[in-house]
Amino acid sequence: MMLLAVGCNFRNTAVDLRERLAFADHQLPRALSELGVRYGCEAVILSTCNRVELYLARLSAPVALSADLVAEFLGEFHGLSANDLRPHLYEHLGVDAVRHLFRVAASLDSLIVGEGQIAGQVKQAYELAKKHDSVGPLLHGLFQQGRLVAKRVRTETGIARGHISVSSAAVDHVKQVFSHFGDKTILVIGAGKMGELTLRHLKQLKPRRILVTNRSLDKAQTVAEGCNGTAIPWGQLDDVLAGADIVLSTTGAPDVIVSAERWRRVQTKRSGRPVVILDIAVPRDFDPAIHDGEETCLFNIDDLMRIREHTLADRLKHVGPAEGIVEQEQRRFVKEWTRRSNGPIIARLIQRHDSKRAVIVRGLLERLDTRLNGVMTDEARAEIEGAFRLYQNQMLHEPISALAEGTPDGGSHTLLEALRKLFRLEE
Amino acid sequence: MPILFYNENGIAAPTLKTDPMPFDGITRFCFGASYTVALLLELFQLLRPRPALRLAALGFGGAGLLAHTIFLAAQRPPLSSQFGSLLLIAWILAVFYLYGSVHYRNLAWGVFVLPVVLGLVALTSAVPPDEDPHGRIVPALDSLRGERFWSFVHGTLLLLAAVGVCIGFVASVMYLVQARRIKAKALPNTGVRLLSLERLEAMNRRAINLSFPLLTAGVVVGIVLMLQGPHPALDWTDPKSVGGVLLWLVFALLLYLRYGVHLRGRRLAQLTIAAFGLLLFTLAVSHVPVQGGP
Repeated sequence: MMLLAVGCNFRNTAVDLRERLAFADHQLPRALSELGVRYGCEAVILSTCNRVELYLARLSAPVALSADLVAEFLGEFHGLSANDLRPHLYEHLGVDAVRHLFRVAASLDSLIVGEGQIAGQVKQAYELAKKHDSVGPLLHGLFQQGRLVAKRVRTETGIARGHISVSSAAVDHVKQVFSHFGDKTILVIGAGKMGELTLRHLKQLKPRRILVTNRSLDKAQTVAEGCNGTAIPWGQLDDVLAGADIVLSTTGAPDVIVSAERWRRVQTKRSGRPVVILDIAVPRDFDPAIHDGEETCLFNIDDLMRIREHTLADRLKHVGPAEGIVEQEQRRFVKEWTRRSNGPIIARLIQRHDSKRAVIVRGLLERLDTRLNGVMTDEARAEIEGAFRLYQNQMLHEPISALAEGTPDGGSHTLLEALRKLFRLEE
Repeated sequence: MPILFYNENGIAAPTLKTDPMPFDGITRFCFGASYTVALLLELFQLLRPRPALRLAALGFGGAGLLAHTIFLAAQRPPLSSQFGSLLLIAWILAVFYLYGSVHYRNLAWGVFVLPVVLGLVALTSAVPPDEDPHGRIVPALDSLRGERFWSFVHGTLLLLAAVGVCIGFVASVMYLVQARRIKAKALPNTGVRLLSLERLEAMNRRAINLSFPLLTAGVVVGIVLMLQGPHPALDWTDPKSVGGVLLWLVFALLLYLRYGVHLRGRRLAQLTIAAFGLLLFTLAVSHVPVQGGP
């Protein structure tokens, strides 16, 4: 068995090179096919914004797969120099490759530890390779197990707990104040990029209506069209503030838009109804003094980022147990794979010894029969045959056990080769 | 062999001591202790959230409720006594605790409901029940004829109103804690996790809206019963009359402030907590003095 994982990720390669090495969806079938033709191996390509990795496997290896060969392939495929690429590529072989995939799938190797997207991307990469027949028994088993490992890590540790994105954090804050959203009005002030993402999350709460206002009515209309909302002229800001339940502010204004004084005027029209203001603009759009934690709940970008920091710190506590699960599963996979792949060799070894033993025992019994003039009893024959069988079993027990157990460092492959050569099992 | 018991005048009265009842061993201590352990586990769970702790808390809470139910069914304390009504309110709130804990698995529900349950159970020590010479609680009578029926209606209405006030109280305390957390900008999914302010306010509103008509009807039936009793004149200096009327007034004020002045949030929660305090006072001093029957 030969298993190789070669690639680059956000840690060792700058984004501009990663972008050039990435495989677009339409390129993947051709790349998988070329790898199969060129190296006669199983192949899966994992290409995301944070990593490009090739998983290659071959049951027998007349020519060893290596990072150099992969660099050559990547260079030719993307029109880059293999020599320039090679320093950026890491290489994991055998058991290390198994561990690496499990760590990647479990999101232990991700930029944000515990993020859930990577497990889906690994699955997608495998499904695509399967669709194009570039997956064989080894990668099939490996990626199936990788999915299970990711699931185990997610459910048995707290590594995926909590929210990381500002948008999710914003929704968490809103849900502390409101439970029902069918009667709520969301007001979006400004047309910032961050606001769009947060609005997408808020929209999932299914509010009654979404109002968008901006200094430029055209921009407001563009945002409103994207979210089935209504564009409101900037001049009506105070009126819509008075009617809003959730305010998402994301303007690029250099100064505060809603001062404490202005908010007091708005509040007189609100009759004490609570409002959640998500001020994710920098500089801030709302005067922080208006937050009272009941009628006016104001959260700015720092408050939302605090959730992210807390979640990340909390997730790091679960990395140790998650690595433990990966290690355990990697051992299990290697052992199972070794057992499966060594089965035919062990059978051949036993068969070879059985036939040799039978020839020797038959010859010995014939000679003894002649020497003893046919007086040897059936019990004596059975005893002699049994002794030879016992000797054979005891002699083969140790090498077979060593093969069946496998070793974490992939030593079973060397053992297998040694057995093949020593006992001429290929013949 | 007959055992002699002595009455107040020191005259021996032959009485056959009855056999112990099957659930005589279940006492207030049994369910009080179970609820206490459940509360401690809930508090510990706040510091170190573990599903096993939550399950254990639910287990102890459930065991407490079972013992509580058996105690009420076996002893049948009269609803007209403070002892009986307090235990029954505590029982309803224990059901409320279990329902909430199962329904809102990630929220600190028990931390707020169980102290009220325990407080009510503890309060029964201050108002011991009427006991027979064997030390058993004098049970409620089965017959509900005539005046006893109206006493039962009066007691039931007040009891249901009291449950409403208790739920309003729990919702108000949760509201104040949640509002405090939001004001301090505490992280949403850490520490004491609670329902949203909107949900808690709705819970408080429903509890009070349902309690007020029940309380009004209960008070009216109580006044009629008093007017028709052996001493028909109402004594307005009697704490139970004062407590009952004050409680009704506070409720009426609560409703007026909510719907007339549109008072919301903290103020309303604080007033509901005050109403709960008044309810405890009323429960401690007031009940219809019809012995032996609800």
